[in-house]
Amino acid sequence: MGLLYGLIAVGLALIFGLMDVTNFAHGEFLMIAMYASFFLFAFFAIDPLLSAPLVAAAMFVFGAVIYLLIVRFAMRAKANAGMVQIFTTFGLAIVLRGLAQLFFTPDYRSIPQSWLGGKTVSIAGIFLPQPQLVGALVSIAAFAGLYFFIHRTDFGRALEATREDPGAVALVGIDKNRVFAFGWGLGAALVGLAGAIMSVFFYIYPDVGASFALIAYVTVALGGFGSVFGAFAGGIVVGLVEAVTALMLPPSLKSVGIYAVYLLVVFIRPRGLFGSM
Amino acid sequence: MTALLETRGVWQRFGGLVANSDVSISVGRGEIVGLIGPNGAGKSTLFNLIAGVLPPTQGSIWFDGEDVTNLPAAERCQRGVGRTFQVVKSFETMTVIDNVIVGALVRNTVMRVARRKAHEVLEFTGLAARADVLASDLVPAEKRRLEVARALATEPKLLLLDEVLTGLTPTEAQTGVALVRKVRDAGITVLMVEHVMEIVMPLVDRAIVLDLGKVLVEGKPADVVRDPKVIKAYLGDRHAVGA
Amino acid sequence: MDKNFAARRRRDLIIAAVLAAIAALAPLFVKNVYVQNILVLTLMYAALSQSWNILSGYCGQISLGHALYFGIGAYTTELLFTKFGVLPWFGMLAGGGIAAVIAMGLGYPFFRLRGHYFVIATIVIAEIGLLLFQNWEWAGAALGITIPVRGDSWLKFQFMRSKLPYFYFALALCCIAWFVTWWLEDSKWGFWWRAVKDNPEAAESLGVVVFNSKMGAAAVSAFLVAVGGAFYAQFLAYIDPESVMGFQFSLLMALPAVLGGIGTLWGPVLGAAILIPMTELTRSYIGGSGRGVDLIVYGTLIVLISLALPQGLVSLLSRSKAKGATR
Repeated sequence: MGLLYGLIAVGLALIFGLMDVTNFAHGEFLMIAMYASFFLFAFFAIDPLLSAPLVAAAMFVFGAVIYLLIVRFAMRAKANAGMVQIFTTFGLAIVLRGLAQLFFTPDYRSIPQSWLGGKTVSIAGIFLPQPQLVGALVSIAAFAGLYFFIHRTDFGRALEATREDPGAVALVGIDKNRVFAFGWGLGAALVGLAGAIMSVFFYIYPDVGASFALIAYVTVALGGFGSVFGAFAGGIVVGLVEAVTALMLPPSLKSVGIYAVYLLVVFIRPRGLFGSM
Repeated sequence: MTALLETRGVWQRFGGLVANSDVSISVGRGEIVGLIGPNGAGKSTLFNLIAGVLPPTQGSIWFDGEDVTNLPAAERCQRGVGRTFQVVKSFETMTVIDNVIVGALVRNTVMRVARRKAHEVLEFTGLAARADVLASDLVPAEKRRLEVARALATEPKLLLLDEVLTGLTPTEAQTGVALVRKVRDAGITVLMVEHVMEIVMPLVDRAIVLDLGKVLVEGKPADVVRDPKVIKAYLGDRHAVGA
Repeated sequence: MDKNFAARRRRDLIIAAVLAAIAALAPLFVKNVYVQNILVLTLMYAALSQSWNILSGYCGQISLGHALYFGIGAYTTELLFTKFGVLPWFGMLAGGGIAAVIAMGLGYPFFRLRGHYFVIATIVIAEIGLLLFQNWEWAGAALGITIPVRGDSWLKFQFMRSKLPYFYFALALCCIAWFVTWWLEDSKWGFWWRAVKDNPEAAESLGVVVFNSKMGAAAVSAFLVAVGGAFYAQFLAYIDPESVMGFQFSLLMALPAVLGGIGTLWGPVLGAAILIPMTELTRSYIGGSGRGVDLIVYGTLIVLISLALPQGLVSLLSRSKAKGATR
């Protein structure tokens, strides 16, 4: 059970990018990161664990670029702002998927020999797969780091402020574009981290993003938009619920539990568990 | 004669904060009553309570002889309470006349009739020339008037005006005052929250002063203005009365 | 002023009638079955998108889970037909009714949600629906239901030899959806919906019961979409959960409206007319090898339109009017 927890929590760091605006292309970011890991392994024989920081850095740039090129304009819409964001990022997701299909072919790929792949470790008598365990640890570390970053550093606070009132921060000399670009970069980097790790034990194919995307959105929405801690908590909840559901219902229905919990929570608290939006 | 609007012992608490304490006021038919007080006095909260945006923590609100305490905003409107918002809430993607039609639909469900009524209201408020303009393209003063027009279209018995005259140029303010008088002449009772003393005092029949959530004083404007308690509330307050 | 407006409304109606007439004559000139297929699909999606537009465009409650109602329409009709022998015509209405009831039932707890939360809820609900049907043995589970087709029959609404009757049905559905939108646009419902979309608080202060308006929009929208689903089932003579409740349908219902102009009268139809043929064509000619170029084109188009023309293509046609045909 612990492994699922870790895994999804990592998946959640994914959603950081959503702090600013709903990014329906997030699943595709994950997909790209996974491919990046794969190719680094295939061409340079770098183990995904090692290449993770590299992938994260590359994704950072990618995320920032996407913001500057595309998302920035989406946020300027006067009317129907929410819709514009949704559909713009959706379109982006489709384009990315198409590009992946074009360049990488729809075949499934996987990384067969990696440091941790397929190995298990025994803790207190329970066998846990190493990759997931590492993933869990990394995600906890990432969240902790993120939390401190947001709440303690100047930049983190600038990010929060800019999200709440872009007009006002301009008066204080903060360039909102730079802040948001950074935010997007950071979000992409985190999902890059997730992708790199997940590439060890998941199949990689163009549509892989979609499968995780919905769970990711549900997790963030569950935790509440605008709250990093919420995303983390949401991840834990989702991981647990999924594990429990898998025990009780046939495997094809395992997502039902998560969805049901989402609906329940949101019904009781329309802003998610810790949401501020 | 029963008052049109009565609040009886209304309290409003938000957690530990008391916004209104034991407020009992009444507004008679055909009056123009001003609700004034320094910032933070609880005027907007009281307004929202009367309009039905939220129910009071304690106390009751009576409108036209009926206990409306637990009626939500939409139903109070149907009973005859119309209101404007301090921060203008126009329907931005709709034209001026469509905005007003929404209001008119409360009483006239036949479209043709609602449309005609909307035109009449636009004439009344001087916005007829801008009927086909998108609400988002109006200047602030016009948007204020649109707020009033919309509320008027619901054919209210009581019109709640939330700072409609604040921040206008002197000319705009005079037009606004004339409009309020016109509204009363048409038989509608008016309760207005205002900051701008010089403009409001000559306009209202009666003034109710709120301070720190309580009713401080009420009476004729000339008397209220000279009341030492009122002067102390305003001058002793850090937030100066806006002009 | 009123004369202008009434004239504009009449004009829309006349244009619609003319277009419908032209469309009705099209099969005489188009004999290619493949093209006919595209036409049928275009009309169907136009109808679906127009219906979706009612809830999401006019009333502003963006739903990306409308595939649920599509599937309900399909399944209700086919289950009634294959298990109980109920004619599809009645099945369609039943499906529509059930969908409307479910839409209202779901609205009760979920209309209080705002923005992104609501959208995700709609997606999630549709997914639950999909998963449930995939595991429901009596309804065929993942294998779905095949409709026994034995010759042409208007009664059973199945045709083997030609696509024409399907074409006319789709055309009729599209016209109905358009007409319902046209009618509701200048009705108290239409005004209430737009008020709720723009500013629910202000709407309430003007006597609009926000919750009821949302329910109304949801019900109408769901009903029409379900009928569309029933049609699709008969058209394909085969349904399975993925093919009628999949997320791609929810998207395909929304995109034409976004492309053409969300919340407008002509937007969905225009959007469908462009998007659907384009999608089909690129998929057959380019995307067939699975190379995803059709996705690239498709996605890029969506991005461009969302950014450059958030009001949709109709805004190009009428610079002076911003939204809808009411003014």
